Amino acid sequence: MDKQDINRIGMGNIYYAIIVLLVALILLSAVFSVSIGQVNIPFKQSMDILLHAMTNGRLGSLDNVQSESYLNIILQVRMPRVILALLIGIGLSLCGTVMQAVVQNPLADPYILGISSGASLGATFAILVGFGSSALLAQFGVAFGAFVGAMFTSMAVLILSSIGGKATSVKLVLSGVVIGALCSSFSSLIIFFANDAEGIKTVTFWSMGSLASASWEKTPIMAVVILLGGGLFLFQHRVLNTMLLGDESAITLGINLSIYRKFYMIVTALITGTMVAYAGMIGFVGLIIPHITRGIFGADHKRLMLGTLLLGGLFMIWADILSRTLIHNVELPIGIITSVIGSPLFIYMIVKKGYNFGG
Amino acid sequence: MELTAKDMEIKIGKKEIIKNVSIHVKKQQFVGLIGPNGCGKSTLLKSIYKSLVPQQGIVFLDDLDVLKTSEKKISQRLGVVGQFNEMHFDLSVQQMVMLGRTPHKKMLESDKQEDFEIVEEALTTTNLLEYKNRGFLSLSGGEKQRVILARTIAQQPKFMILDEPTNHLDIRYQIEILSCVKSLNIGVLAALHDLEMAAHYCDYLYAIKEGEVYAHGTPEEVLTSDTIQALYQIKCQTYTNPVTNGLSFAYGI
Repeated sequence: MDKQDINRIGMGNIYYAIIVLLVALILLSAVFSVSIGQVNIPFKQSMDILLHAMTNGRLGSLDNVQSESYLNIILQVRMPRVILALLIGIGLSLCGTVMQAVVQNPLADPYILGISSGASLGATFAILVGFGSSALLAQFGVAFGAFVGAMFTSMAVLILSSIGGKATSVKLVLSGVVIGALCSSFSSLIIFFANDAEGIKTVTFWSMGSLASASWEKTPIMAVVILLGGGLFLFQHRVLNTMLLGDESAITLGINLSIYRKFYMIVTALITGTMVAYAGMIGFVGLIIPHITRGIFGADHKRLMLGTLLLGGLFMIWADILSRTLIHNVELPIGIITSVIGSPLFIYMIVKKGYNFGG
Repeated sequence: MELTAKDMEIKIGKKEIIKNVSIHVKKQQFVGLIGPNGCGKSTLLKSIYKSLVPQQGIVFLDDLDVLKTSEKKISQRLGVVGQFNEMHFDLSVQQMVMLGRTPHKKMLESDKQEDFEIVEEALTTTNLLEYKNRGFLSLSGGEKQRVILARTIAQQPKFMILDEPTNHLDIRYQIEILSCVKSLNIGVLAALHDLEMAAHYCDYLYAIKEGEVYAHGTPEEVLTSDTIQALYQIKCQTYTNPVTNGLSFAYGI
């Protein structure tokens, strides 16, 4: 008994140590991220600028900063981008973890229930058919179209899977596939009839995901949606754990999964829709980050949740750094980077002996 | 706790699975449900533990109306060991058993020392203490079923429903599971396939055939050659086992 208690406390300490480490890594990576790019700013100066900005000048002095423009580059251009990367990483891995529990399937990701196809349809419509003519409205239109598309498909999937009784995980996945296929065919139809090479290129580019549109104006909505969602799910570990057992066992533990599934789907659809609207489709993060975190902390959502959020944020900050720096003067779409890093990592996890999706 | 299910009628689609079945389990009684595959045993049990809604009938646990009470409140009193189900994600044995505390927890409440002690006790009762940190998916079928039993014990139920809990298990695990449940001294309603086990462990039996109660009574009253032949469409001779002095059966087609 004593030894086991010590064991338990020991395990707890390791958990907290990893969490602290992840937070520290995120902060350091963020400073590193704002330092590099087409203009390289020395790390020390970036640190000074950030400290100065965050503490209203009480800490960090601007005396050593070589150029005024550094301030602008860091605070107006790169900082919102790092924050967007962090938020998107948190959001994707959050929705991935929740979706994997909701459909009881380790292959699930935030886009599994047709959200991706719906958002693509909305974005394609906005780009090729359009809501308006001015450049500003067009830019806003894509985000709006993607968001509406995502929400519309999620609701359609939810309604379709609820027909004739409980929304089971199998019905959800199948509804997602069907609605997704329907949306894809409509997107193809629009592209087929569009006589607009530039527009088609924009659609393709959008579907690869990008953080280039980051700005301070967009940050608050993102931050509110994702942090509220994250806060909510950090305290849902009991329900999420019983989801792993399936409907039948969950009922005997007093939890009616059908209701929670719908509730979680609505929340994740809101988060995913917002993310897709701002950054397009960024694949793989929502699939692999939950799995990697399970490899570290196990499948108990009590620990998995916080870990997965932090790891997701860290991963996206680095994917963003790579997308900006890998090829000189070219910014690669971040979706390509996440898949290129993600796939080998995932293969390693599958090949590595003993990974049982959390054990 | 006493369980009363009265005038139960259950349809799945258009098919009538259970027709007018009434069952009563007295305090601390171990009651068995026997009958061929597809006779409606599991369906009946599911409607009692709220997984299915019956078209007609009432279910009471003491004076608690099961069909009108929330799942959470029922699960604080009623534990269920079901047929084995697949899982795609792995939890440790301890985490798995800890899930049994779910009904007693508010959404934001954390696991307390008391909960860890209850889990520890459940693991001891089911002989699983050394498996505590193993992954659930790495266990054998019999071990998994014991973990489920431990989870149900950690739920601290006043009544337990078992749905063919010993399916696919070897003889030792079958005996272990049923003895363990019997030693809890709470009301039990169990669907069982093995008639010798049913005769040995049950105080009272209901034989179900085609969705109706075909016979009920003590094992000696129900487990006659005639009843068994009618239930399972086989030839059967009963005899007193000279070694155990219990009821035994010789089957043939």
